[in-house]
Amino acid sequence: MSEPGDGPLLEVEDLAVEFRTRDGVFDAVDGLSYTLTAGRTLAIVGESGCGKTVSSLAVMGLLGPTARVTHGAIRFRGTDVLALPSKERRAFAGEHVAMVFQDALAALNPVHTVGYQLTEVLRVRRGTGRAEARRRAIELLDLVKVPRAADRIRDYPHQFSGGMRQRVMIAAALAMDPEVLIADEPTTALDVTVQAQVLRLLAEIQAERHMGLVLITHDLGVVASVADDVTVMYAGHAVEQATVEEIFAAPAHPYTRALLRSMPRLADDSTADKVEGGRLDVIPGRPPRPGEIPNGCPFHPRCDAALDVCRTTPPPLVELPGGRTSLCHVATEVLEAAHDSSQRATSGVRGRGTP
Amino acid sequence: MNGEPILEVRDLAKVFPVRRGVVLRRTVGEVQAVDGVSFTLRRGRTLGLVGESGSGKSTLARLLVSVERPTRGQVLVDGVDVTTMSRSARRELRRRVQIVFQDPYTSLNPRMSVGQIVGEPFRIHPDAVPKGGRDRAVKDLLELVGLDPAHVNRYPHQFSGGQRQRIGIARALAVKPQVLVCDEPVSALDVSVQGQVINLLEDLQDELGLSYLFIAHDLAVVRHIADEVAVMYLGRIVEHGTAADVYDHCAHPYTRALMSAVPVPDPAARLASAEIVLEGDIPSPADPPSGCRFHTRCWLAVRLVGEGEPAADGVPLRCATESPALTDTTVGHLAACHYAERAALAAAGVRDV
Repeated sequence: MSEPGDGPLLEVEDLAVEFRTRDGVFDAVDGLSYTLTAGRTLAIVGESGCGKTVSSLAVMGLLGPTARVTHGAIRFRGTDVLALPSKERRAFAGEHVAMVFQDALAALNPVHTVGYQLTEVLRVRRGTGRAEARRRAIELLDLVKVPRAADRIRDYPHQFSGGMRQRVMIAAALAMDPEVLIADEPTTALDVTVQAQVLRLLAEIQAERHMGLVLITHDLGVVASVADDVTVMYAGHAVEQATVEEIFAAPAHPYTRALLRSMPRLADDSTADKVEGGRLDVIPGRPPRPGEIPNGCPFHPRCDAALDVCRTTPPPLVELPGGRTSLCHVATEVLEAAHDSSQRATSGVRGRGTP
Repeated sequence: MNGEPILEVRDLAKVFPVRRGVVLRRTVGEVQAVDGVSFTLRRGRTLGLVGESGSGKSTLARLLVSVERPTRGQVLVDGVDVTTMSRSARRELRRRVQIVFQDPYTSLNPRMSVGQIVGEPFRIHPDAVPKGGRDRAVKDLLELVGLDPAHVNRYPHQFSGGQRQRIGIARALAVKPQVLVCDEPVSALDVSVQGQVINLLEDLQDELGLSYLFIAHDLAVVRHIADEVAVMYLGRIVEHGTAADVYDHCAHPYTRALMSAVPVPDPAARLASAEIVLEGDIPSPADPPSGCRFHTRCWLAVRLVGEGEPAADGVPLRCATESPALTDTTVGHLAACHYAERAALAAAGVRDV
């Protein structure tokens, strides 16, 4: 999709973010790198507490007073955003990169009309007049397909349904025509039917404007339906990075593999599972809390492929064929096993690895 | 024992009045949250209930555990109608139907220890376990749901989400129920933890012979756990059958649309799937559409009109005026659609593409 001359839009390099709390200093993100080009969608996947939201707040410059970037670079079209003076830093967020938050009801102000909130940024930053702001608000609501936009700009957030509110959030993020949109779990609170509408809308807008889209989610189904590239995060680390086709065809990290296995499927083979005893493959234990991150590989207590070395030594970042990476001592073996089993599956043997 | 009806629901309805005014409260309308729902839950089986938010799933759950009184209809536990009983007689029957809530963060009292939470139902149902044996019973329950019995004196905040949901399940099991109503029991949990709780529920079912009414918006989870599935739309069941029938041979256009909206974890399916996207939101149950309640969003109705079916307001006449009953279809299970056969055919067509 990328046009000639398109350089990377947003580059995050070896980013580390730490939190200072009463109980000590924790790394919420450690060594995250990714590159986003125009017209592409990068999905950042992980469970709660893995650092996917914190890393995006760092990009936006929205980290709270207890958190700070300790390491790494965030470059937008080659300019290091972290090195900018604070005024220009603030201008960058919203102007070039905008963010859509998960909980639209909490993110919108209940005492102002939707029209006011849509264009607040324009009035403050560009000094847009009232009539012009109103026209622009209607245009934005039209863009995200809210019916009767001219009437609805006078409504308050509580008068909108969940799906419509999320559209309003997207419209507000688009007010300054950003080149990169970061959407943090934009459909998590929505019904599947409405989720499908919102995802389709995001994809349309992205294609139309040739935007870069960072989609933060825990839902692998959503990832498969919209992403081009995938970064899987666990305990603050990017444990696997690959294209969406590669990751779903053959995961190269035991965590990704376990996540894919633990999902109940809608398709017919889940009834086959049921007949075979009806149990889901699960990942034992739970994601570590900050401050309780184990030594060595952070995933080793839950990993089905862990060796002795995993308990003591942090895993290397292994570069695999096709430019994909996996943060794992046994990355090559995991990938080979995945290729083998996908070949078995296509040749008709319905093996899932475990008896 | 397995297979006999344990919970029967007949023509159950709940209407909430809509009131306006502070001093002079006037009733200005009504919301039909549940409207004529009937089904039978059999011993040891799981009935999955799916539908969008606002379809009445949670109100139905609250009716079943007698948190709400129904406006109309019957709830039969082991053949005895709960709705017409005296309070004291109802108590014993209520014991047999317990509920697990969605949010393990708000459904546990933060000021009570785990032991107090799990043992609290004994205060309402003292006969369930004799007085001397309750501490033992609480520890056994914790062990049963996979928690360390040594943790009885800990508080909810010391547990993770998945562990809290286990506490909620232990509390529901304390008074030895026969039926568990699980209202979105895993939707607040992390993906890797969801599977653990689902497996626990399945183990408990095998071990204790429990019956589940499993409410969830995640269709894949429901398919995995349920024997039968009922699909709700605006207070009514629009399709009901075995999980395999409903998922693989759906006969209602709403079910078809719900299925096609589920993102498939396979990037190759992106291009292959002929997706049916529902426009708009679920209509307000305070003012449900006439005729078939789904007709305002029905993709099949649009298609039928295109084929020359006599129409009113852009949908076939029958859909706009006549409410379809939940009846047997040619595909072998219940669906409430005037054109169920066409819907089943269209769905099959989509699957074969």
